[in-house]
Amino acid sequence: MKLYLSLILLLPLMGSAVNAVVGRYLPRRASELLACGVIWGAFVSSLFTAFAYRGAMRVDLIDWLSAFDFQAPVSLYLDPLSLVMIVMITFVCALIHTYSVAYMADEEDYVRYFALLNLFVFAMLVLVLAENLPLLYLGWEGVGFCSYGLIGFWYSDEANATAGRKAFIVTRIGDTAFGIAIVWMFKLLGTVSITALNGMGSTLPMAAITGLGLLLLIGAMGKSAQMPLMVWLPDAMAGPTPVSALIHAATMVTAGVYLLARMFPLISPSATAMAAIAVTGGVTAFYAATCAMAQRDLKRALAYSTISQIGYMMLGVGAGAVTAATFHLLVHAFFKALLFLGAGCVIAAMHHEQDMFRMGGLAKRLPLTFWPFLAGSACLAGIPLTGGFFSKDSILAAVWLKGGALYGGLCFLGLLTALLTSIYTFRMIYIVFGGEESPGKHCESAHGGCAVPRLMDGILIPLALLGIFGGLINLPSYIGAGWLGGFFATMPGGQGIEASHSLEISLQVLAGLLALTGLGIAHYRYGGDRRREVIAAGQGDATGFEAFFLNGWRFDDLYRIIFIRPFEALAVFFWQKIDEGMIDDSLDRLASVIGRSGEGLGAWTSGRVSVYIVSFAAGAALLIAYLAWTIS
Amino acid sequence: MEQIFFYILAAVVVIATLMAITARHTVHAIIYLATSFFALAAIFYLLGAPLVAVFEVIIYAGAIMVLFLFVIMMLDTGKWEKAHGPTFAQWWPALLLGVITFGAMFALFTVKTPESLAGWSYIDARQFSLILFKRYGVAVEVISLQLLFALVGALYLGRRKKQ
Amino acid sequence: MIVPLTHVLILAGIIFLMGLSCAIAWRSNLIMILIGIEIMLNAAMLAFVGGGAYWKLVDGQVFSLVIMALTSSEVSLALSMVVYLHRRKRTVNSDEFSAMKG
Repeated sequence: MKLYLSLILLLPLMGSAVNAVVGRYLPRRASELLACGVIWGAFVSSLFTAFAYRGAMRVDLIDWLSAFDFQAPVSLYLDPLSLVMIVMITFVCALIHTYSVAYMADEEDYVRYFALLNLFVFAMLVLVLAENLPLLYLGWEGVGFCSYGLIGFWYSDEANATAGRKAFIVTRIGDTAFGIAIVWMFKLLGTVSITALNGMGSTLPMAAITGLGLLLLIGAMGKSAQMPLMVWLPDAMAGPTPVSALIHAATMVTAGVYLLARMFPLISPSATAMAAIAVTGGVTAFYAATCAMAQRDLKRALAYSTISQIGYMMLGVGAGAVTAATFHLLVHAFFKALLFLGAGCVIAAMHHEQDMFRMGGLAKRLPLTFWPFLAGSACLAGIPLTGGFFSKDSILAAVWLKGGALYGGLCFLGLLTALLTSIYTFRMIYIVFGGEESPGKHCESAHGGCAVPRLMDGILIPLALLGIFGGLINLPSYIGAGWLGGFFATMPGGQGIEASHSLEISLQVLAGLLALTGLGIAHYRYGGDRRREVIAAGQGDATGFEAFFLNGWRFDDLYRIIFIRPFEALAVFFWQKIDEGMIDDSLDRLASVIGRSGEGLGAWTSGRVSVYIVSFAAGAALLIAYLAWTIS
Repeated sequence: MEQIFFYILAAVVVIATLMAITARHTVHAIIYLATSFFALAAIFYLLGAPLVAVFEVIIYAGAIMVLFLFVIMMLDTGKWEKAHGPTFAQWWPALLLGVITFGAMFALFTVKTPESLAGWSYIDARQFSLILFKRYGVAVEVISLQLLFALVGALYLGRRKKQ
Repeated sequence: MIVPLTHVLILAGIIFLMGLSCAIAWRSNLIMILIGIEIMLNAAMLAFVGGGAYWKLVDGQVFSLVIMALTSSEVSLALSMVVYLHRRKRTVNSDEFSAMKG
């Protein structure tokens, strides 16, 4: 077991290091093969780990930090949650690495790309497998750094570098709260080991638990792009599409949810913290769904949809259903990665055109891309019997069962958001793939035609299958025992919800109806001839409500007014008044004072004998007087 | 008896010097000064230094003051009636510093009052020259050299340039 | 000695004081400065002679002779410089010659 876990961690790290150091001197195929091979190797290792799994265990590798009673060795904790996470992460990452080989075929700087991608996988696996919080923080920061490097991959365009920086800085706010929580926990309980912390939660006063829960929530907010720290994710689409698929759909943004699920036994006694988590998730889901309905850029629409779905996961954790949240996390990873990779296929075929309103007629042109994309969209919208349907529904059931006015309101909000999700998903489908050929792009005349490399299309297929049949992981109790629920039951806090069959069925019928209604609305607004009208109407700039949703409820402008402008004003003040005015000028003034006093003294040498005579006599008088004084 | 002479001569010296430093015309100052030098020479004689007294009259009052007179008359320094002496603004530093210096010196002189030896001693020319040329022979040679330098320098500085 | 040494020294001090005042008060007239210097040197000579008389030594007188010799050479050089300066600017006002300013 130790061997498998070490391999899981070391293979991506080694791939990254080798690529970073000697990747430039290897032939291109060798470097790519190395990068993909290590991830497939990690996947195989994780499969071996899964087969050899016998129960929760802790594996100590080496000592890392140790001073007095602060102990943080490199030790890994394998339990159902981390096991399913590493299998999912390694599989999805391996697929995306292979996809990247074809997507970045024209890119000169592929070595940096693959090195960062491998390093990211390593950091994410460390995050998931960590047994103590400092190690988790190491992985947390590692994925943040790789995300920054990959978002700003094409850094020669300043907008991309700015997007990377924005992501880093916004998540940093969350990281600070997380760091404070770690230190506070160490101060309260004297340990930073997750298993120990989860066991000692009952010894703390409620106020401390609430405080810790809120700090961890802020940390998760930053990493998982929840309100109010969600502003970085839409801009992060400046990176290459496989990066968006990997980091901002499947793995990094789920790290926040993972953290909360991990520390669930510690923070769950506090109803306030749980309510805060649930409210954050619910409101963010609604917010992002409304924004996604007005987007014109394909990737931005998918980014907002990611924010919305992670809101669902947070809602699940806040309602106490870790199993449901993890279920949705897994299925979401599959179909969101599928959607992003499909979008990458479309964008590559349209020669890096990302505006939806300039696309069209692709259902006939790119059938191998269209059908998997449709499957993913069905999962996202929650069409009955897809994986997305079951997972979203289990979350809503858990929220409903929690009871109380707050959770009832959140359940209603979640259902409304499901409707909006369905609408914007099929809006996307109709605008991008529907209709005839868009007049803006003539594929025949373009170089290379509108073709998608075979490899890229091929990767979509396993993801589509996993998305559609993902519901099998955790079927609701009236069909068969949920495998995931049973697996998680051994974990503290992983107990599934016990709902009556009738409640489950009615809720599922309701959700399914909402999804189909959304499909209908979208077809009504965007299908067939109406599509042309919509596209023609959308040629100008957006106004009114649409502009409000298009700009993400204008949160960027709000933050600019509240934080950035005062900060810049403060910086200018410190620069001009204090740095130049006080510090520099004080030195200048000191120098000029000395200069002027020197000039004043220099006026003594007037060249006139009369002045010298008086000075001479004064000096002599002084000397003789001093002599007389000392002698007498 | 000699004591009274000393104090009278001392008064003469002081008054003459006082007139010399407050005279408006330089020539008047020189004349007053010559008077004071004569009285000083007499004091030297009373203190048992006849040779120094003689030299004082011959060299100091005779040569140096006359040299001053030559130069003053050679230079045309304007009408002396129209010249004004130093104003009070020029006098006060002089008085202040002079009083401080004198006060300090007075304090030094009267720290120990040495007892005065009675009698009048006298060092004649023979004794004087013996000591001068035997003990201070090198000093004499050096001084004569120095006089030569001064002569050469004065000749050079005072020459007329050829037009 | 006919008078106490202190009295001789006080007389020398008074003469010195007057010479110093002359040099400072007349500091704008080159010739009066030189006169003040002469007076001060005389006071020094008086002090030397008085000391020599008190201790019955010849050296006091020898040194006043040395002072006299040096004074004469100094005066001749100083006066020739005054003549030279007068030829340059037709004045003996010492404030006129401030080319060494600064």
